[in-house]
Amino acid sequence: MMTGERKPASCFLDEKTFRLCCRLFLQHSESIQDGWIWEQIKGSDEGFMKKTVLIPVKSSLLDKQHESIQAENTELPTDDFEADAEDETAGVDAVCESHAVLRYEYHVLYSCSYQIPVLYFRASALDGRSLSLEEVWSNVHPNYRQRLKQEPWDTLTQQEHPLLGQPFFMLHPCRTEEFMKPALELAHAQNRKVNYIVSWLSVVGPVVGLDVPLSFSTAVSAPD
Amino acid sequence: MIMADDKDVLRDVWFGRIPACFTLSPDETTEREAEPYYLLLPRVSYLTLVTDKVKKHFLKVMKAEDVEEMWFEHEGTPLKWHYPIGVLFDLHASNSALPWNITVHFKNFPEQDLLHCSTNSVIEAHFMSCIKEADALKHKGQVINDMQKKDHKQLWMGLQNDKFDQFWAMNRKLMEYPTEEGGFRYIPFRIYQTMSDRPFIQTLFRPVSSEGQALTLGDLLKELFPAAIEDEPKKFQVMIHGIEPLLETPIQWLSEHLSHPDNFLHISIIPAPSD
Repeated sequence: MMTGERKPASCFLDEKTFRLCCRLFLQHSESIQDGWIWEQIKGSDEGFMKKTVLIPVKSSLLDKQHESIQAENTELPTDDFEADAEDETAGVDAVCESHAVLRYEYHVLYSCSYQIPVLYFRASALDGRSLSLEEVWSNVHPNYRQRLKQEPWDTLTQQEHPLLGQPFFMLHPCRTEEFMKPALELAHAQNRKVNYIVSWLSVVGPVVGLDVPLSFSTAVSAPD
Repeated sequence: MIMADDKDVLRDVWFGRIPACFTLSPDETTEREAEPYYLLLPRVSYLTLVTDKVKKHFLKVMKAEDVEEMWFEHEGTPLKWHYPIGVLFDLHASNSALPWNITVHFKNFPEQDLLHCSTNSVIEAHFMSCIKEADALKHKGQVINDMQKKDHKQLWMGLQNDKFDQFWAMNRKLMEYPTEEGGFRYIPFRIYQTMSDRPFIQTLFRPVSSEGQALTLGDLLKELFPAAIEDEPKKFQVMIHGIEPLLETPIQWLSEHLSHPDNFLHISIIPAPSD
């Protein structure tokens, strides 16, 4: 970073605009039944966007679970699960049948410190057992996994959820400016308005198995 | 700006200690009786960083197959290692008699309450993450980003090895601000209370009012936790590093001198003891 370089204000998001972007995002999610909701913290005016998805277990993780089952002498409940044929997860093979699924819970929170959104998530097996960082990594998109492993502690870490106080994984926000700045500058040059949440989540979501349907980029309007 | 005579405050904070007694949980399987382990805990460090000796002590009486990740509990409450030790004590034990009684567990890790901590690298990552966040608040992240990797390492090594001078040689840069600004952009702080489901309160707070007046601890609490400063009867204690600063204390000075090494002002609010 150059000393004295002034960051364009557009790289950051004030909380009011964050709320507005989320509201627009949620409206479209509801219209296509994509599952996002707003979770309000009771007794407070704070909240976050939330989505829960079931993800079929990939083979490498299945092997680990198998070893885990033998080691623990416990039996995991098994269900046949047919992957959604419309699953657009790029680069991840669709799994037609599997013996287990994982429950991923994604939260989008506003960070007043960094003045940007931050993605938190947690993952568990259907028996409630939480996944470790290593297990979560095996579900990370292969294109990102190598980069994450090069500096594992700085990118994806277990953190306390600032509103719930429970352990969650967090994609560290320090890289957000790196990819949002060019996107925002390009939009500005083309005199286009951008819904920050749509652009941001389209980049960070797939890193941890969260897809953003393409219609969000065309149907969700940007705040004025 | 830090004056020479305020360096005593920095040292007193850094070298603050809490006497603790570690006892193995009766639920643990042992080959013979486990003696308690007594230790002076540094307030500004992290439980998992300073308890290798505790672990070794109890492993002597346990079989390897009975040992999983070590975790700590006080009177039924799992202790979050990622909070500074002094904050945990102020929150959970400051109105009990010393030493601080901590129960040690090696199984049934409470997944829903505690972060895993497999190596010191996890603590380092958490610590540096807090410093970066604090600098984002104080200087838009410019100071920490201008530092080199070895400077970050020096901050961590200073904390890990309990070396005040090594740490503060680097940390003083993070405590500087332009004279004309009168203080940091925003104060990095967290307010903890045991009576809430929420882990802490954190929001944006400037050290100087729009009229240029220095804001105080009382101003911060009036905005975020007014119940803490109702005086009659006194319902709450507001603790920073185990003391109750005057509400008139300027928040900028507190941030420079009473912050933890992670550069956050950790403020604990607990019920006042009923006399």
